[in-house]
Amino acid sequence: MIRMGKKPLEGIRVIDSSYVFAGPYATGLLGDLGAEVIKVEGPLRPDFTRGGAFSGMLPENEMGADPWNRMSSYNLVNRGKKSVVLDLTRKEGRDVLVDLIKVSDIIVENFTPRVMRGWGLDYPNMKKINPGIIMVSNTGYGRGGPYSAYPAQATTQEATHGHAAVTGYAGGEPSKAGQSYVDFLAAWTIATAAMLGLRYRRRFGHGLWADIGMYQLGCYNVSEYVLDSIANNIPGERIGNRHRQFAPQGVYRCAGTDAWCALSVRDDHDWTALCKVIGHAEFAIDQRFSTETARRANHDVIDAMITRWTSTLPKIEAMERLQAAGVAAGAVLDGRDLNFDPQIKARGLVEMVEYPKERGMGARRPLIGRPWKFSAMPLSINGPAPAYGQHNGEVLREILGYDETRCCALAEAGIVVDKPVKPREVPNMTMDKRVEIGRLAYWDPDYKTKLGIV
Amino acid sequence: MLPATLDDVKVLDLSQGLAGPICAKILADFGADVIKVEPVGGDSGRKMAPHFGNDPHPEKSLVFLLANLNKRGVKLNLDDPDGQALLRQMACTTDIIVESFKPGYLASVGLDYATLAKENPRLIMISITPFGQTGPYSLYENEEIVTYALSGIMSISGLAAQEPLKHGGMQSQYEGGLSGSVGALAALHARDMLGEGQHVDVSLHDVVASTLVIHQPMYGWTGAVQGRRRPSGSSYGQVQRCKDGYFIWQTGGGAEWSDITEFFGMEALKEERFATVAGRALHGEDMDRIVLEATKDRTMQELFLTASEKYHMLFGIVQEPKDLAQCPHLEAREFFQEVDHPVMGKIKVPFRLWSMPECPAVYRMPAPLLGQHNTEVFGGLLGLDASRLAALSARGVI
Repeated sequence: MIRMGKKPLEGIRVIDSSYVFAGPYATGLLGDLGAEVIKVEGPLRPDFTRGGAFSGMLPENEMGADPWNRMSSYNLVNRGKKSVVLDLTRKEGRDVLVDLIKVSDIIVENFTPRVMRGWGLDYPNMKKINPGIIMVSNTGYGRGGPYSAYPAQATTQEATHGHAAVTGYAGGEPSKAGQSYVDFLAAWTIATAAMLGLRYRRRFGHGLWADIGMYQLGCYNVSEYVLDSIANNIPGERIGNRHRQFAPQGVYRCAGTDAWCALSVRDDHDWTALCKVIGHAEFAIDQRFSTETARRANHDVIDAMITRWTSTLPKIEAMERLQAAGVAAGAVLDGRDLNFDPQIKARGLVEMVEYPKERGMGARRPLIGRPWKFSAMPLSINGPAPAYGQHNGEVLREILGYDETRCCALAEAGIVVDKPVKPREVPNMTMDKRVEIGRLAYWDPDYKTKLGIV
Repeated sequence: MLPATLDDVKVLDLSQGLAGPICAKILADFGADVIKVEPVGGDSGRKMAPHFGNDPHPEKSLVFLLANLNKRGVKLNLDDPDGQALLRQMACTTDIIVESFKPGYLASVGLDYATLAKENPRLIMISITPFGQTGPYSLYENEEIVTYALSGIMSISGLAAQEPLKHGGMQSQYEGGLSGSVGALAALHARDMLGEGQHVDVSLHDVVASTLVIHQPMYGWTGAVQGRRRPSGSSYGQVQRCKDGYFIWQTGGGAEWSDITEFFGMEALKEERFATVAGRALHGEDMDRIVLEATKDRTMQELFLTASEKYHMLFGIVQEPKDLAQCPHLEAREFFQEVDHPVMGKIKVPFRLWSMPECPAVYRMPAPLLGQHNTEVFGGLLGLDASRLAALSARGVI
């Protein structure tokens, strides 16, 4: 295989003027693909991942002098970027952004439509500043339509975009699943739209605007239920871990604490294989279970039989024995397992990112990379996430060519800063306390030894 | 007609089910000429429920319809040497192949990337499979719940006292389609810049795991592992009941705590103990009781509109599929496309993922019937004459 030895987006400059997960993650991935990404935050508005509910943890749970630079989620999604802090609520700050737009290729933003219009930075104005700019706007509901101005966030949207109605234990209440789910659908969509924009510009000579509404993406991902309603008037339902058609399917308790293995029997052949594995070959010819319909009707009985077998085995062994017999099965991995799973390891999904000593992060930390492997361009995370305002000087002087007088004036006026005026709250709580109140399931004091990052 | 970004791109969609086909459909929506190449028995997606009228007819799968809009379709038996030769011929003039076979299958029939790229070095291949092309699980048997379990997401979904819970539906498939399209566009960009194609290996397991941006790094930062929600304490951040359904609310958005207490209209919420984040966490059960009392006679729709429009709150309601089918916002965003399908007739199908006014996703045709464009593609494009077509058809190659 010929190696291109070059990252595809080298030479492309991206402004990340977005917060939390969708936009920052999308631009982080564009950075992995070789783009130069400049993250823009405000003195009064550090990113929400620099403290608070979405920010994760501090290294060793130690507050240190600059917690806003060291939170785990912030460091994952903002890897490889440059950071500049500009007060966009003041004209002098917006002037800097305008200058940056003139020399950039892509801007990703998630301000409300009213804010961008008020600043004269909506697309009709944006393209006057730079006709080649590709503007990707990501908001809860998108820029048009009756809900356009509604505030939104993944947790509340998960209900509104239809996922909660079809997620939950059988007979139970609608439920959420995962964390900030719809943000990730938006992250991939932003990256796709941005690259479509680059190609459009190459072919047709000017930029474009992509208007993404997360609600729409969430709704799309329950399309089979929506179509079932449209075509057949069939309502959605909550069936826990079962399958509408295949039986049995579920998550079964294994030996150990909170240990589970999922399996799915997709046809009679799978069923025969499963019966053999669990030591009851005779069930394969038992009338009660001989067809899919019969197995659905006797699902509870089957679940109890499977659990008798799985509960004697560690989850990984249960998975391996089922897979060896050709039954679709997978252990329920937790946050620790993800860092050691042999598949994830073999594919290099989790990468070690090196930190300079002055960041107070320890030498290396493991972070999720990308879910794609390119045969001709091996990629990796392009360095750590920046400290707040770390590249103020570089951006102003080298990229924008401002002189010393102007840089000093901006700093003196508090338009450009390198410390948040009002840092986001970071809960100061011991690890054991976090476990006690249920924020954590458990913690491993010797995790660094296990990860080999002592 | 607006110019289409990908109208110079030719795609062969060899993939089946949902993930690969959605990736190819996104390329088609932006102008790519996509030919769906199905096995003689049809894409496995044709067997996937739901079906129109609950009739498990291969031309009535609503999943197949959804994921294969804007594509032409041919039948081709890749196990047959003549079928392989035809595909090799087509691959010479193709820009992107999307496929989802079990790793190793394409190599076993001489159609793997390395072989095809010898004839066409500009070719890009996107493989979207449950575990990717490499690693110890790459040949594992799979179903949605298996990907979900191994990705880590189930360990934090559901209640601590119960089993881990899967998202409803087939999320890893949709996610794979969306994420796969990033891989496809990146490879296309690289080829536009540098001239060469390449093989992009997308693993649904990696895709779902890569959404755990809070969960995964906590371990590497402190050794912390999150679990599932405990039943005690506040339902805050979980759905709560109102008169005709469920709602969910959060602080933040454009709302101060005073706006929120005014929205719920309960004096008791104005007590000092609820005024801070820490206080609300500590007195969560009391807060829930007050909120439930405040909302028990109010409807979802009224709560949603009032909270969002008047109080700028982060507020959601549990919408059912039928609500989405009639949603005025989705209508305004032109989310649905009316499709006139030769077997199912006229039907409204989710179509537009996002808006891009300069070069929007454009609907051109319904999903293909099995083998619908055999003559057009094998006769017109590849130049096979009628007798050759008839012979291949008789042998079950096409």
